[in-house]
Amino acid sequence: MNVDELVRDSLREQATEQPPLEPGFADRVLTARRRRRTQALASVAAATAAVVAVAVAVPLLDSGKDDVRLASEMNTSDIIAHPDQTPPRDLIAAGDVALAAYYTWSNVKQTDDRAVAVRTYRLLDQKTGKYVKTTKWSFIDVAPGMRTAAVLEKDLPAKRIGLLNLLTGEVERWIPVDRGVAGVEFSPDGSKLVATTYSKNPDLRYKADYDSDGDGKKNDWMPQFGQSSRTGFYVIDVDSGKGSWSKATYNSNDLNVRQDFDFSHDGKLVYSGLTTAPHMQYYDFEGNEVAKPANERYVHWFNDAGLSPDGKLVGGNGAVLDAYSGKQAAKVHGQRPLAWADNERLVAWYSEPGTNEFHNRLVLITIGSDKVVPLSGFRKGNDGAAGRWTPIFAER
Amino acid sequence: MDAEGQEDFREFVANRSSALLKTAVLLSGGDRHAAEDLLQNALIKAAGRWHRIDEPEAYVRQILYRQQVSRWRLKWPRRELSVPELPETGSGTDASSAAELRLVMRAALARLTARQRTVLVLRYFEDLPEADVARLLGCSVGTVRSTTHRSLARLRGLAPELAALGPADAEQQPSRDFSPVEVRP
Repeated sequence: MNVDELVRDSLREQATEQPPLEPGFADRVLTARRRRRTQALASVAAATAAVVAVAVAVPLLDSGKDDVRLASEMNTSDIIAHPDQTPPRDLIAAGDVALAAYYTWSNVKQTDDRAVAVRTYRLLDQKTGKYVKTTKWSFIDVAPGMRTAAVLEKDLPAKRIGLLNLLTGEVERWIPVDRGVAGVEFSPDGSKLVATTYSKNPDLRYKADYDSDGDGKKNDWMPQFGQSSRTGFYVIDVDSGKGSWSKATYNSNDLNVRQDFDFSHDGKLVYSGLTTAPHMQYYDFEGNEVAKPANERYVHWFNDAGLSPDGKLVGGNGAVLDAYSGKQAAKVHGQRPLAWADNERLVAWYSEPGTNEFHNRLVLITIGSDKVVPLSGFRKGNDGAAGRWTPIFAER
Repeated sequence: MDAEGQEDFREFVANRSSALLKTAVLLSGGDRHAAEDLLQNALIKAAGRWHRIDEPEAYVRQILYRQQVSRWRLKWPRRELSVPELPETGSGTDASSAAELRLVMRAALARLTARQRTVLVLRYFEDLPEADVARLLGCSVGTVRSTTHRSLARLRGLAPELAALGPADAEQQPSRDFSPVEVRP
């Protein structure tokens, strides 16, 4: 017998022995697709300082086998728009993204010259498909698939991270942390969290001794620029609750008071924005400074849309750029991209030409097309005004 | 994907997943969990462009093969297979030896690189000609030929039982690039 004959026989025998897949594999795929939870991940970074205690509970993100459907799964229309709603009341979505939550700001005075800037969230209730006001949380990020949100309690920095089930509205699990956390972001596939640690609440505001907004009154509350109390970040595996903390302070003059970490497009690095050039610093999960990934050279942390899902384009202000060359690939006139709906379409802020730039609404735009599809009503008030809402997007 | 697309997708998976899984298991060197992951990932990609695919099965298969090869390129740590020792075998050539030999071969296949295994699965399980394998994997015919040659040679080197086998036709050619060259008169 020749070796190739034996290879053929062995492969055929092995193939015929395979028991069939369990029924429901298609649904497993569709659920996984929604969450983009690719199972094969780079191994969790070796612990620099393993600190986070293991939270014992059923892994929340695997609870997709139940029959209860999410509101965002009931309506799978490509575009779900409510152009008459501002702020939005019912689910808004386009392509692969949805408006998962939004928040408004207000300053809560603590002393005569100190206040805390507080976010009031409206979070998608996956039972009803409506945005519901919550004042329980000081910070929220929503995982891809919109089944789970990571939440922080009031009084930042917080000593535990909650995993909130958007269907039941209950925190299913707490991940305790030794160092105070004031910001959390999910990785692109939802399997990890990067939590930014601070020694002080980064949302403190102080009464400015000048008239910042030019309304004739010295009544403006400002962060203390140049005094960021950021200490570093945790990268936490959501299923196990295990993670490691890395010190990452940078020169505090180059950081905003709140300067949270977020994941790179491929989820393998984290980055921090900087207020001065080079504007961004990337780190591996052990806290070592590393170079920007090749296709993130033209990404700026301040632009929300970032890289397109295929990693080839960058959504910037007024233009879409080629991610590798930085050359303009398309103009997106008068619009501020916020999130990619797919590789060709973006959700953006849009104000009618010739109108007040603050009078803007969510729209869906298509690269290479003048078509603008309104998704929400127009926001009112100037930047920073009460009632002005800021969107949070997630993959649906 | 709209509701109709989802229904269509479910039907495709129900009808074809078992056949696709077989290929995925072989590509994964017999690791059933890795195979299901591999297939799931391929199907996720297919679902993403469902309404634009003419032949779903061909599309999913191509992703399976290419995913496997690019995994090898990326050297994902989780994808390094941990494989038990080759099973002990008797030394004789009795009636059970053919079955034993297939088991030894299976264990040896699991120890190949993903790329080597993928080429062998395409050549000897899917029975594809070299040109089709090259097209599917995005490499030259010469590369397919040399990878096949090296993979079979490695299999024979992995266990004494396999070393005793006769060389395959593919091994009798030197591992040079035999890509067709256009010759003009």
